[in-house]
Amino acid sequence: MRRNRFTDKESLLFLIIGLALFVFPFIYEDRSMLILFTQIFIFAIFAMSYDILLGFTGIVSFGHAMFFGIGAYCVSVMLKHYEPTMLLVTGAIILGVLFSLIISFVVGLMTLRLKSHYYAMLTLALAGLFLVAAEKWRTLTYGNDGFTFRVPEFFHNRLHFYLVCLVLMIIVYFGLKRFIQSPLGRILLAIKDNEQRAESLGYQVLHYKIIASIVAGGIASLSGSLYALSLRFVNTSVFTMDITLDALLMTIIGGVGTLIGPVLGAAIIELAHHWLTGLAKVHWIFERWLILFGIVYILAVMFFPNGIVGSVRKLVAKKGKKEDVSTSENIVKEG
Amino acid sequence: MNSLLSLKNVETYIDQYHILQDISFEVPAGEVTVLLGRNGAGKTTTLRTIMGLNPPTKGEVAFKGAIMNGLPPHDIANKGIGYVPEDQGIFGELTVEENMKVAIKKESDDVMERMEWILNLFPDLKTFWKKPGGLLSGGQKQMLSIARAYVNETELLLIDEPSKGLAPIVVEKVMHSIQEMKQKTTIILVEQNFLMASQIGDSFYIIDDGRTVFNGRMQLLREDESLRRKYLGIA
Amino acid sequence: MELFINLTINGLATGMLIFLLAAGLTLIFGLMSVLNFAHGGLFAWGAYAGVWLYLLTNSFIAGIIGAIFMGIILGFITEKWIIQPVYGNHVQQILITLGFMIVLSEFLKVIWGPNQIAVTPPAYLTGSWEIGNILIIKYRAFIIVVGLLMYALIYYLLKHTKIGLIVRAGVINKEMVQSLGINIKRIFLYVFMAGAAMAALSGMLIAPYAGVIHGNMGMEYAILAFIVVVIGGMGNITGSILAATLVGLIGSFMAYYVPELSLAVNMLIMAVVLLVRPQGLFALKG
Repeated sequence: MRRNRFTDKESLLFLIIGLALFVFPFIYEDRSMLILFTQIFIFAIFAMSYDILLGFTGIVSFGHAMFFGIGAYCVSVMLKHYEPTMLLVTGAIILGVLFSLIISFVVGLMTLRLKSHYYAMLTLALAGLFLVAAEKWRTLTYGNDGFTFRVPEFFHNRLHFYLVCLVLMIIVYFGLKRFIQSPLGRILLAIKDNEQRAESLGYQVLHYKIIASIVAGGIASLSGSLYALSLRFVNTSVFTMDITLDALLMTIIGGVGTLIGPVLGAAIIELAHHWLTGLAKVHWIFERWLILFGIVYILAVMFFPNGIVGSVRKLVAKKGKKEDVSTSENIVKEG
Repeated sequence: MNSLLSLKNVETYIDQYHILQDISFEVPAGEVTVLLGRNGAGKTTTLRTIMGLNPPTKGEVAFKGAIMNGLPPHDIANKGIGYVPEDQGIFGELTVEENMKVAIKKESDDVMERMEWILNLFPDLKTFWKKPGGLLSGGQKQMLSIARAYVNETELLLIDEPSKGLAPIVVEKVMHSIQEMKQKTTIILVEQNFLMASQIGDSFYIIDDGRTVFNGRMQLLREDESLRRKYLGIA
Repeated sequence: MELFINLTINGLATGMLIFLLAAGLTLIFGLMSVLNFAHGGLFAWGAYAGVWLYLLTNSFIAGIIGAIFMGIILGFITEKWIIQPVYGNHVQQILITLGFMIVLSEFLKVIWGPNQIAVTPPAYLTGSWEIGNILIIKYRAFIIVVGLLMYALIYYLLKHTKIGLIVRAGVINKEMVQSLGINIKRIFLYVFMAGAAMAALSGMLIAPYAGVIHGNMGMEYAILAFIVVVIGGMGNITGSILAATLVGLIGSFMAYYVPELSLAVNMLIMAVVLLVRPQGLFALKG
């Protein structure tokens, strides 16, 4: 993101809300809220990683669930077979991230130079392949039935886990923000704006796309690991299209390319899901909440491609009547 | 002066790039008007703007007095404007015959007459009638592209750098045929090859950095070396 | 020997079904540069609408006609209201067609429920013929015939009609076609509707073949169609039918010998083609 007045204000807002969320559970004790918010934090991390691809580099991937699943299974398999210590958990998370880094590197190297359509297709098919593989390799994954496992003592207290996820989300946000505002990040933005121009200016576009892909994959893996820890259960659903779809919905509706948009999107989707599932007991139509979101998503892509946060930014800019947009040319020159 | 085509203060953006900043010119009927200028000055974009492929953001493009801004390319083409792009736009996998067929809307007497005329001008096309367009030589492709743009009731032909990449003998042939066509239709020619352009052009406009900076009858450029040096960098 | 022939016929039949699905997809991709991620949804709707009509009226033909109609209508809606508004922006196109796919799939489940529906072929297509020692299942032969007929029809339309000529020219160079005075956007609509109709037909035909239809069938077959489009080359109908036959045969043989690998092998071929010869295995130019 360009260092404009939006992102600084947003970061401040984010920090304030973050602190409030930190204090909140001590004031108001509600277990289901705790769990719900933890889910929001986890998916916020996942959605932010997706935004790096879509919003900041212009890459459409339909296989993001792959990394989520890898992270989830690394932690789960480790915890099932070994003593559940915090050390093991940390090691497993790192292992998941490593696997994801390698896979996204290899896949990216081979496929990121293709047209966006082909990349989307390939990632879709690849994710499908992972899902099938996970279902067949029952000895490791127990297929669709999945398996449960124990978590370390520290996490037996839901509050601890909540706080860890909150802190991680904040770290990821500020970390990615630094990443985006670095010269590297600005080159990614130039690529998103106009790939050919970036190429003609001498930047090895493939190189940078792979970097974005690796970063996104690694962080997605982290969120997958946290997800498994929160459920203490894993099954092949972590590799399904539904997960990738979640990332898509959250990013687009929240605001693609804003970093904070996906966080907002995660909150909206998870809250809505929770609420609508509750309503499903009243009328079965609420079980098909995905339709509602699908329609909102389509409308967003068509009319509000900047999502909620993006649209808010535009409104505020109009009111302030200040021109805050620099062309990609300038960005690349500065970078 | 009653112009067939006139552009007034036209501006065109491609993405966020301000390619045409102020283009104005008049094209009299029955003549060859040449657009000259350096690479990247905006000559091709000017033709594309007229054709509606890159619509203008400001200014007026008027054909026979009626404003054409914002019309889709096919509507503009159907007003009687033909376009011969820089890369010729030949449908390589289609035969020469099929290339021509795509262009022909109605096989009226008029059209068939024009077809006969242009095929006589370019006999090579008859020879290669059933062969894929991709097999033609550079010069032949150019001829096909021109023939295709001409065959409907075209009143204005936009031709973009027809001599590019062609051997001098072929260039002469192409230029000669454009000269023949002058009798039947008005032509806007974009050319880098000044020698050729000066031989068949009647008037010229010089485009620099997206603006029309100088114009006159071709006589002027033929005779005044200092002008040529100033605007075209050649003697 | 019988096994080999059986697997081959099986593979050919599956191949034809995938061809029908991929034919529309490849023309749409080649002509409009739109990769229609919602194609699977059109396929599923064709299946459900057709099957519903079939079960209601007990007429297989009615089911087929119903499916085709559904495809045409949905094709119109999709092209006009989903794809046209974002024409030109590849990223938006990809995202929006996927979104529409979801809405179509979910809507399907709302109307017909998420459970499977069993379907059997009509009486006159059930059973098999015996030729010597070999058993040829009637329905599979039927599908192969339909597939070949459709290919012949499409080929004829493309090669010998004005609109086919325009489509072929448009695949090569859209702008030039417009510059020649042809409203290519209208052609897009027709091609899209035709593609959607074929997808819907494919869905209807697959129903008695697979024995069941279910809400997620769209995505499953869509992936295979994508693979075929890549291998066959976008915009290349002949390439599509060859690639579809290949994919169908591989699927059939793999499913028997090494079932875990069938999708993997097809995917591998797609990946290799994309990396080595992105214009498709069967492209005409080098």
